[in-house]
Amino acid sequence: MIEWSEQHILMRDAVRRFVEAEIVPNLEEIEHGDTPPYEIMRKMVRTFGIDEIARARFAKQIAKAKEQEAAQAAQDGDPQGAEAESGTSKREDSDAPSEGAGDAAAMQIIPVIELSHYCPGIVTAMGVSAGLTAGAINAKGTVAQRERWALDLLTLDKIGAWAITEPGSGSDAFGGMKATARRDGDGYVLNGSKTFITNGPYADTIVFICKLDEGNAPRERKVVSFVLESGMAGLTQTKPMRKMGLHSSPTGELFIEDLRVGKDHLLGEREPKDGASRGGAKDTFSTERSGVAAMALGIVQQCMKLCVEYAKTRVQFGRPIGEFQLIQLKLAKMEVARMNIQNLVFRHIEMIDKGRKPSFAEASAMKLYSAQAAMEVCLEAVQLFGGNGYMAEFQVEQLCRDAKVLQIYGGTDEIQISQIARSLLAD
Amino acid sequence: MKILVTAKRVPDPESTIKVNSSGDGIEEAGIKWVVNPFDEIAIEEALRVKEAQGDAEVVVVSIGPSEAQEQLRTGLAMGADRAILVTGENLDTSAVAKILVKIVEKESPDIVITGKQAIDDDSNEVGQMTAQLLGWPQATFISELKIADDKSSAECTREVDGGMETISVPLPALITADLRLNEPRYASLPGIMKARKKPLEQIEAASLGVDTTPKIVIKSMAPPPAREAGRIVESVDELVTALQSEAKVL
Repeated sequence: MIEWSEQHILMRDAVRRFVEAEIVPNLEEIEHGDTPPYEIMRKMVRTFGIDEIARARFAKQIAKAKEQEAAQAAQDGDPQGAEAESGTSKREDSDAPSEGAGDAAAMQIIPVIELSHYCPGIVTAMGVSAGLTAGAINAKGTVAQRERWALDLLTLDKIGAWAITEPGSGSDAFGGMKATARRDGDGYVLNGSKTFITNGPYADTIVFICKLDEGNAPRERKVVSFVLESGMAGLTQTKPMRKMGLHSSPTGELFIEDLRVGKDHLLGEREPKDGASRGGAKDTFSTERSGVAAMALGIVQQCMKLCVEYAKTRVQFGRPIGEFQLIQLKLAKMEVARMNIQNLVFRHIEMIDKGRKPSFAEASAMKLYSAQAAMEVCLEAVQLFGGNGYMAEFQVEQLCRDAKVLQIYGGTDEIQISQIARSLLAD
Repeated sequence: MKILVTAKRVPDPESTIKVNSSGDGIEEAGIKWVVNPFDEIAIEEALRVKEAQGDAEVVVVSIGPSEAQEQLRTGLAMGADRAILVTGENLDTSAVAKILVKIVEKESPDIVITGKQAIDDDSNEVGQMTAQLLGWPQATFISELKIADDKSSAECTREVDGGMETISVPLPALITADLRLNEPRYASLPGIMKARKKPLEQIEAASLGVDTTPKIVIKSMAPPPAREAGRIVESVDELVTALQSEAKVL
């Protein structure tokens, strides 16, 4: 893939018009006020029939999963057939990209790019809800759990949050994790605090990741996930936290105190056999990391559009500043970054089209480069605009603050580097 | 019920338009092309009629360069059922009207809806000429459309100087859409996916047997004069004098 197709451009233009008509006039309120982005997100999903597509796709996946469950139930007499792990691996196969899925993937990526021109935060809020949270439930949940929680998240009828980070555990998410689940009769009692949780303040459905406390040492405990619902006794969702950027994405803390849930809230409805059940989270990270490149592309495209226009029209020393070589250098470097990120995005679409998924290391490399390039472009864009660049009116300031998060969330640059290196050095 | 709508390929109103080097047209390189916004309103209205009627077919027609396929795909993505592209060069409004008549005769729709004008040449002629050539009733600049229950006529509200006029036209009729008729929808994701598979018929203008010799020749084009900087005047007297002697507007 070297260019967007005619169909892709139709989608791009339609989304661009929506963004210009529905988001740009309200940008000030969304980015600098406390208005949650959910109504605009829902309007967008409904306008473009994305909910309709999600419903149809979900119905197919559930039908398939039901067949698999029936087949597995038939095998249940066989002691080796009833393993949770085999069920999980089969499911992953059925969710793997099928050949020719590139077009569908491109159609999902295009709105991400277009929204990121103005509101990378909305992409984050949407991605965490319909991507991460629904994705985690779909990957690990039983059919009943998927039907109960995932579909409403995919259509954005409900808002989701995926709670892993804690005050004391960020990059070392699993190692330092303090949140616990204790067995209590038929169910569990949950405790813990989570922070930096996207959609945390408003989420209806929360995937809470914690460790099963069986009296063993914290580092040896199995990782388990529970689905929590807003309003449950023992769950507190804080107000949005103040942050550097990404203001259109509400971020909060969650406090879970002696929260009692039945087994039906445990994702998969069975405890993992051993501690090696982190694969699900790894998959989630992998998806998240690929999405960052599309966001970076949107941010870089917008910076370039604004900078080129400014370089042509801003006159200093009697000439448009675009005639100065130092400005030209900035523009040329931005274009190189734009091409590189676009190539990564195209490669990703092409891979999906061939029925492949990027490896964890590939997704990490893609995120590392795109995030760094976007940050550099944004800083240069602010510099190119000079004093105007530092003022909120000229938008590059917002994009610059927003871009920084790409180097932090979904795994910091440093974590990406160590994971890429680990895969290179593995034998 | 069958509805025929038009979709002219025009420069995006947001594009910066420059006169070309020969001075008889615009510089086309780098221009983004869109469906004429008034035609988009026409398409939307056709789709609404279809949705209300249930069993209607919407056919979208473009007359122009082969690239107008893109605009037809937009119409199909919005929900039109099929498209017809008549390719030809250097077609003026009378040629376009004559071609449209041929397509109408071939398709025999119950209603033809066009935009009231195209935003590139602002001629505001094709709809009226087509109705005249067909001998059909016409309702121009409409802001509301109601199809009678027996589908034999349409009640059209027109925006006229100083108010609204409501007229009833027997079908088949030609209608031209004004700005306030509706707000066009965005093409949806399923709509865009389906559009690729919908039929798009291509016809060469020359094969229709109509005389397309232009009756209008563009001799020259010039951009509007650049706006000059304003000036702050000291007094009302000075302003009045300037308006009289310099701007010559009083």
